[in-house]
Amino acid sequence: MPAKLKDKFSGIKALRPAPRRSSLSADIGEPRSAGNADSLATLLGATLQRNHYGEHFSIRRWFSEPCEFAPHPDVLRLIAPDAANDTVDPQRWLFLDTETTGLSGGSGTYAFLVGLAWWDAGGLEVEQFFMRDHSEEHSVLLALRERIAERPVLVTYNGKSFDWPLLETRFRMTRAIEPLAPLVHLDLLHPARQLWRLRVGNARLAQLERHVLGWEREGDVLSDLIPQIYFDFLRTGSAEPLLPVLRHNQMDLRGLAAIARKIFSLLASPENENPDAFELYGASRIFSRRGERARARELFGHTLDAGLPEELHRNARRQLARLAKRDRDYDLALSLWEELSHEHRSGLVESIEAAVELAIHYEHRARDPERAAEIMRAALATLSDHPNADHTRARGFRNLRARLEHRLNRLNRKSARPLTPQR
Amino acid sequence: MPPSLAVRPRATLDVIRDVLGELASRDRNGDVLTAIHHIPARDAQYAPLPAWVNGRLAQIYRAKGVDQLYTHQAQAVEQLHESKNVVVVTPTASGKTLCYNLPVLNAILESADTRALYLFPTKALAQDQLAELHDLATRLDDSFGVFTYDGDTPADARRAIRERGHIVLTNPDMLHAGILPHHTKWTRLFENLRYIVLDELHTYRGVFGSHLANVLRRLRRIAHFYGSNPIFICCSATIANPGELASRLIEDQVAVIDENGAPCAEKLFVFYNPPVVNRNLGIRRSYLNEATRVTKELVARNLQTILFANSRLHTEVMLTYLRQAFPAAPGRSEPIRGYRGGYLPGERREIERGLRDGKIRGVVSTNALEFGIDIGSLDATVLAGYPGSIASTWQRAGRAGRRSGTSCAVMVASSAPLDQFIIQHPEYFFGRSPEHAFVQPDNLEILVNHLKCAAFELPLSPNEHFGDIDLSAICERLVEAGFLHKSGGRWHWVQEAYPADTISLRSVTSDNFVIIDEVGDAMGESSGPEVIGEVDFSSALTTVHPKAIYIHQGQQYHVERLDFDERKAYVKQVNVDYFTDAIRYTQVRVLEIAAEEPATGPSSRAHGDVLVRSQVIGFKKIKFFTNENVGAGKLELPENEMHTTAFWVTLNRGLVASLPYALSDRQGGMFGLLHALESVATLLLMCDRRDLGATIGERAPRPGVEEEWEQLPEAAASPVETKEFFEPNLYLYDAYPGGIGFSEPLYRTSEILLERARDLIAACPCEKGCPSCVGPLGERQEHAKEAALEILRRLLGQD
Repeated sequence: MPAKLKDKFSGIKALRPAPRRSSLSADIGEPRSAGNADSLATLLGATLQRNHYGEHFSIRRWFSEPCEFAPHPDVLRLIAPDAANDTVDPQRWLFLDTETTGLSGGSGTYAFLVGLAWWDAGGLEVEQFFMRDHSEEHSVLLALRERIAERPVLVTYNGKSFDWPLLETRFRMTRAIEPLAPLVHLDLLHPARQLWRLRVGNARLAQLERHVLGWEREGDVLSDLIPQIYFDFLRTGSAEPLLPVLRHNQMDLRGLAAIARKIFSLLASPENENPDAFELYGASRIFSRRGERARARELFGHTLDAGLPEELHRNARRQLARLAKRDRDYDLALSLWEELSHEHRSGLVESIEAAVELAIHYEHRARDPERAAEIMRAALATLSDHPNADHTRARGFRNLRARLEHRLNRLNRKSARPLTPQR
Repeated sequence: MPPSLAVRPRATLDVIRDVLGELASRDRNGDVLTAIHHIPARDAQYAPLPAWVNGRLAQIYRAKGVDQLYTHQAQAVEQLHESKNVVVVTPTASGKTLCYNLPVLNAILESADTRALYLFPTKALAQDQLAELHDLATRLDDSFGVFTYDGDTPADARRAIRERGHIVLTNPDMLHAGILPHHTKWTRLFENLRYIVLDELHTYRGVFGSHLANVLRRLRRIAHFYGSNPIFICCSATIANPGELASRLIEDQVAVIDENGAPCAEKLFVFYNPPVVNRNLGIRRSYLNEATRVTKELVARNLQTILFANSRLHTEVMLTYLRQAFPAAPGRSEPIRGYRGGYLPGERREIERGLRDGKIRGVVSTNALEFGIDIGSLDATVLAGYPGSIASTWQRAGRAGRRSGTSCAVMVASSAPLDQFIIQHPEYFFGRSPEHAFVQPDNLEILVNHLKCAAFELPLSPNEHFGDIDLSAICERLVEAGFLHKSGGRWHWVQEAYPADTISLRSVTSDNFVIIDEVGDAMGESSGPEVIGEVDFSSALTTVHPKAIYIHQGQQYHVERLDFDERKAYVKQVNVDYFTDAIRYTQVRVLEIAAEEPATGPSSRAHGDVLVRSQVIGFKKIKFFTNENVGAGKLELPENEMHTTAFWVTLNRGLVASLPYALSDRQGGMFGLLHALESVATLLLMCDRRDLGATIGERAPRPGVEEEWEQLPEAAASPVETKEFFEPNLYLYDAYPGGIGFSEPLYRTSEILLERARDLIAACPCEKGCPSCVGPLGERQEHAKEAALEILRRLLGQD
């Protein structure tokens, strides 16, 4: 009978070995042997923690770098407008970063390593909860819950979309431990993206460390390989490959804390941080988005002097003009639009947009419809001269032209009105 | 204002008789109108609204004109009130939606936490139910939320649906890949899940049904995790085994409610067989032309008519014919419209409205209008070709039939074997439904895939049950294969990939071939390579081998090359007058006999596990209509082995020897019989021809014996290579790895199978055999039809 069963199984495609993503040793190795908890703890530098739900490993380490800083309340509000005043206390901050068994989410993706960090003695205390297998998840989650209760301001990098929802799922799966929602969740991905993506090319934390903080990670593990390293550990007990994973997570936490410091000081007083043009541009946009117009205008001003590449320079002027218009500073807005409207060779869309703004200004505020019509005619001529003007596929182009023509027609009627009044 | 001011003469019996008279005038030999079946009007049978129904709900139903229930509705809601699972089996327009909406809404009104999940086989059907539920929600002051949740649901709406949707309408695919793997986001729904509605239950059969049964195993597991134990409400079209199907799908007892209490108006059901134009070849006049003519007669007498085609292409062809006959009056809209998938939603809504208010006099449709979609009731239905199942035929015919007056349905048969069988055996159609829906939830390939999903959703415990398997043994295999890890006494998922993502509910394994149109065709412009479809591994070699003509949505494609390792077939659109038929060597080895018994004879029948080995070695080009062989080619493709289940009939030596024919005719007869058995089996099992394989092999001395595998030609291959069979086995096997549940039922009903095969061959008007009965004939087989009938006579003990 077993022979027949085996025969039946051998043809089942669903039972064929799973694909392995690995540059590690090709052989999967022997099943792990039990009773090596002590040597494992020694190897990982871990201690065994126990609580109501069982036990797990905890790895603690203190780092003198990065060092603690006092977050400026204004910047906190800039990043998290709904943050309460008392959340500015850095002692209540908890940095969090997880290592997981996959990126797809869903109830079968586990956070096998929960990395936490907080300020201590001027430096950073890092604590990592590691589950040696799935049965230790409950006690990890309970320990995490306790840490959040102690320090309810959560600081993460992309944690709002990834780490926290995944942990919420893990909590739900226990049917016993309620997730404790942090008081505030500062996800630094978004401000970091604004400040550095243009220069660095992407906003991955390791990249920011290298290009913004000037750190070099040595012997870092590729994050794509992390799930497989954990699966291999589960199967074979081979723990050495976990060491770079622990280091990777520590580096992520230290990088996160250092980036937090950088973001806060940059936004608190950019002038003192010797920022480059990209950082100034990003900071201007952050202030602009939060409606801090005065600060944003001031920073855009500095940005323009700092020497941005042409396209960004144009974009900065465009946004500055918009802010000036909001503040009814028409002189500044007009001069920027004039400039932009003449740059159709390199910035066609911006030049047309500026021309429309000018036309609106002359029509409604300066009450000079002829001037407005003239600007529209010039803009239409610009469009017609453009090499793409006849391109049939450029539907955006046709729409743009139609909008300009529509406006021009209206202006023509308007400027003609005093002569032939309409009934 | 009256409901409609459009002039709409009542469809009286007289007008219909008039049309029939017109059709009958062509019926010289009495073989065109093979049946005129009269279904008399029947009054409704009512039962009072149960006293436990919430007062507000009763009130709004009264406001909608429902003062009392039809008897079947009352039975269904009473059973549900007693927390029993039900399956309601009633025809179109018998008020089945009330059977689930009333108990569900009642439960929600009693307790606002209550949740219900409605499953429809397609997105369109779910959309269609929304209108009725929104109306009820409005009447109940929006005291409950109802939403569809499918691939089209915007991401920002999903959170609200998970929290506030009392009733969530979705489909099995979305449940499988979108909801269950994320069940923690649906905590409120699963904690309060009281009812699960499975509408159009009969569509969950074969591969799709076997998958669904496993999705439901996972669903029940998750519900249990959150502490709920939902009741199932199933609705099915009329099939022979609704109770059996429902209880196999939900793995629990189900009360069957099949006594329809809804009223029914008088109806005439007519079978129309196009006249024979070539008796030798068994060729009839084009059924598309004939169906168009019938439709013309009906529309010309001002009967609002729906004409059903079996493909998009046919819809367009017949629409063109009808438009020429009924052009739009100047300044008026077209009186004849087409309707099919691919039309824009706005256009579809306009057509549905036009049909309800009578402005549209005729519509040509694919199965898109078969069920769901409110188009009111029409005067007449014409079916161009048998839709493939009796259940489907009745659903389509149900589109005509007003509450009062008379309606008619005309089915025009094509020359396909099934069409010809049905049209010549009206008693088979109008009698008790012979159609069975079977599933095989324990097909290992399917089950193991869902077990992986289940492990992803929630770690597996050794004391759980997941189908009829040794859970621990399979989990240990999955540990070895690197999918699971056991810790804390439970098996956990240890892969990065999401198992549900790669598992389609429409095929047995995810090992599919992708079909790529190299040129692409978007609005007649070449748009670059484009994936047009997929075929599963087992049928890929016969349908998309190099130089094959692959037909997709009525369009022919030539297979330019097949990349076997990458599982890709590259095709190019063509327009040719032939199709291709793969020449395949197939051999079946019996591994284990599940049951065997002697039959009349001398013969025996059996079913069990088999190993099917096949190889495509060439193909033939067959000309359309005449079935002439117009060319052939050789192919070198890998051999394929498949473990599956089979039913077979063994013809004992005595029986074969006693046939008074030459060897080639005897062989022709056996293959002819096999062809007929396969046709009839697809009919009984409501399946497609490609779901079954058929082949003949010499009976082995005992099962599992390791004998030389030799190459045997199939019937369709080269019949010149005649091999003498001494004790042949005629196999019908499930064309899916692991089997999909056909073999055991075929064994149980083999008597019926043989009788119907005899009916099919005997009633065929061809002289010596044709594709409609014994299949395409080879040379030197001119007595094949006789021989097949002779074998059947002996098998049925009529010697």
